[in-house]
Amino acid sequence: MGLRTGIRTGLIAAIVTIFLILIGVHMLMGRLLQSWFYVPAHWPGVWLMVVLLGLWAGSRAVGQMKARSWGNTLLAGASAGIIQGALVGAALYLLASITQAGVDLRAWLTQMSQESIAALTLGLAPLPAAGFIGGVLLVSAVAGAAWREWRLRVHAARLARGERTVSLRERLLEIPAVAQVSSNPLSRRVLMGVFMVLLLIAPFFLGQYWNYNLGTVGIYVILGLGLNIVVGMAGLLDLGYVAFFAVGAYTMALLTAPQPHHIQMSFWLALPIGVLLAAIAGILLGIPVLRMRGDYLAIVTLGFGEIIRILSKSDVLTGFTGGPRGVRNVGHPVLFGKDIGNEFYFFYFILIGVILAIIITRRLEHSRVGRAWRAMREDEKVAQAMGIYTLKYKLMAFAMGAAMAGFSGAIFASRNSFTGPEDFVLLVSINVLALVIVGGMGSIPGVILGAFVLKGLPEILRELEDYRVLVFGALLVVMMIVRPQGLWPASRPQLERPRPEEEALEEAPAELVEGEVGS
Amino acid sequence: MNILELHGVTKQFGGLVAVSAVDLEVPQGSIFSVIGPNGAGKTTLFNCISGFYRPEAGRIIFDGVSLVGLRPDQIAALGIARTYQNIRLFGRMTAIENILVGQHSRLKSGLAGALFRLPRTRREEQEALDKAHQLLDFVGLSGYGDMFAHNLPYGQQRRLELARALASEPRLLLLDEPAAGMNPRETEELMAFIRRIRDELHLTILLIEHDMRVVMGISDIVAVLDFGEKICEGTPQEVRCNPRVIEAYLGKGVA
Ligand SMILES: Nc1ncnc2c1ncn2[C@@H]1O[C@H](COP(=O)(O)OP(=O)(O)OP(=O)(O)O)[C@@H](O)[C@H]1O
Ligand SMILES: [Mg+2]
Repeated sequence: MGLRTGIRTGLIAAIVTIFLILIGVHMLMGRLLQSWFYVPAHWPGVWLMVVLLGLWAGSRAVGQMKARSWGNTLLAGASAGIIQGALVGAALYLLASITQAGVDLRAWLTQMSQESIAALTLGLAPLPAAGFIGGVLLVSAVAGAAWREWRLRVHAARLARGERTVSLRERLLEIPAVAQVSSNPLSRRVLMGVFMVLLLIAPFFLGQYWNYNLGTVGIYVILGLGLNIVVGMAGLLDLGYVAFFAVGAYTMALLTAPQPHHIQMSFWLALPIGVLLAAIAGILLGIPVLRMRGDYLAIVTLGFGEIIRILSKSDVLTGFTGGPRGVRNVGHPVLFGKDIGNEFYFFYFILIGVILAIIITRRLEHSRVGRAWRAMREDEKVAQAMGIYTLKYKLMAFAMGAAMAGFSGAIFASRNSFTGPEDFVLLVSINVLALVIVGGMGSIPGVILGAFVLKGLPEILRELEDYRVLVFGALLVVMMIVRPQGLWPASRPQLERPRPEEEALEEAPAELVEGEVGS
Repeated sequence: MNILELHGVTKQFGGLVAVSAVDLEVPQGSIFSVIGPNGAGKTTLFNCISGFYRPEAGRIIFDGVSLVGLRPDQIAALGIARTYQNIRLFGRMTAIENILVGQHSRLKSGLAGALFRLPRTRREEQEALDKAHQLLDFVGLSGYGDMFAHNLPYGQQRRLELARALASEPRLLLLDEPAAGMNPRETEELMAFIRRIRDELHLTILLIEHDMRVVMGISDIVAVLDFGEKICEGTPQEVRCNPRVIEAYLGKGVA
């Protein structure tokens, strides 16, 4: 049994490892360690990644094993390590030999530089290098397996002693100071307050570049929270979400720019109009696709997103939309006669938008409407039988999500003073969907974290520009395997109030409540 | 007085006539059982009543209102709730939330109420939560309220499904094989529970059940379906002795 799981896991781990190497993530790790911890060379980061992947393979193999024994553990760890080591070794042998023969792999794999391969071969000839990496992976996998087995045994022993399993959150709460802060609403507020103050003064210290980037992250947080309503809560897979972002942006642009319409409306008036039009667009798209589910819905919405972009680009509409060149000189917000259209003020503006979006999401989530959405996501038919008019609630979800996208779009266009068709490529929809999934579907902190990881991190890793898309791909793949529920999954609402005499019952409900029906 | 009447209800799937010209008259306050061999069309009949299927022919009258052509949510709002043969809970919602969703058609607040936390909405939510707690207690699930429905053990899931159905304050409750998978003791308790909700909540109960002890023990009237047709109807005693029933259904157990 251990052998089968070991081989299967080893295969998966090998594929993941080779993929990560091909797209150059080992070099990324190397450089990160270099710049963050002042490590003098990049090889420690590179090999840290290799060892971690080995540990992961072994640990995963043991985690998937059904029968528990140290013999099985060794078998699983070793077989996973051998498969992973052999395949990765073979891949490295191939890469190294090809490079040695003078072929430049970068023509096909942009990250496969000499240096990138040398970091793995450590200057050895292809064959010993392959042997070395294979050996490292094997040892790591066995160590990972042993470690996991040990953890599982500790865990089981704890269960046997009647101790409950503790999550990270609960463990943090065991620290007295943390418990005090989190149980006391006042200190919680103080903590929130400190965080808010930090955010509020940040723009004074960050400078233009970071203010702009943080603003972008904020725009994506709003987009993410909006899409989260549609996908995370209502369970409607919308791949054309960027369309509503575009409606908001174009509304702002066309109403406030001198060209092509000479309307030059105030930013403050154009903003609510943009939100409203986006919401209406959401409903208009919603009506025809309401009866579709799953894949069909995804395809049709994807098409809709592209149609909006192509329309905005088309020559026929150049007079109306500005065509492929977009709209320039989009209006800025003016407050008390002062143009507040720079990164600095927009940071605050976006912050307010984010806070609003969070409040809206939180209030909706635990309301009758939010529950209806989530019920629909879980089982549409049963939701109907509970009295939920699903068509209406789907339209509401589309409209709410679209309104948030419209808001971000309008701000985006004004902040850039420009908007054009290329702002609304499919990749935007995919990015937003990715950040919702990476963060944890349906969870507000998850969306914020996701936006930081997917939009903020790449800016921090600016020098690694070319890697971005690849890294995201890798990240998503790894995420799906390691943490399918997302970085910060949605938590369960705690609605049940334990009454004094029933607290004992909460401890061990299974025995006590069994068979009380009808008594 | 009959709370539910079916006249000549027919439902076909392609060439298969799953329900064939069925007439039923369910008196207010009764426990009315529908039995029949596998594939007899019992669940299909429930799906017609609750609006999932639209019958090709026939009329369904609930408390004077014709149900054919109404949407499932409209039918639910009229006061019909149901449970499912294969439990269908909202898995990634907690037990309490499941019960709150059950109250959907009894609550009113919409987008504006939620967004602006109107006093009316807050009061309504508070009352809904109180009621959810009562129902949780009523079905013996206190202590499980904050667990995700899909993490509950099988037996508790069945109870939660009942609580969710009761949450809409129905006048007619459709139960599709509620005793499936229960041991004799649990079945015994379930029967007492069904009687209790009928008496205390003044419900009418339409019950599909395979377990003959349940059917014979608590039903006021039993109707027997076979290949989509109602072959007989009467008190448990009458049905038990009917030769067609013995042949079509009980016969399998006797032989
Ligand atoms: N959606 C459907 N499409 C096609 N045929 C269906 C559908 N639903 C039910 N049927 C068929 O209709 C007949 C009646 O099914 P139904 O589920 O109503 O039986 P039942 O009496 O509830 O049986 P059981 O005791 O097994 O639950 C069966 O032959 C079934 O295969
Ligand atoms: Mg059935």
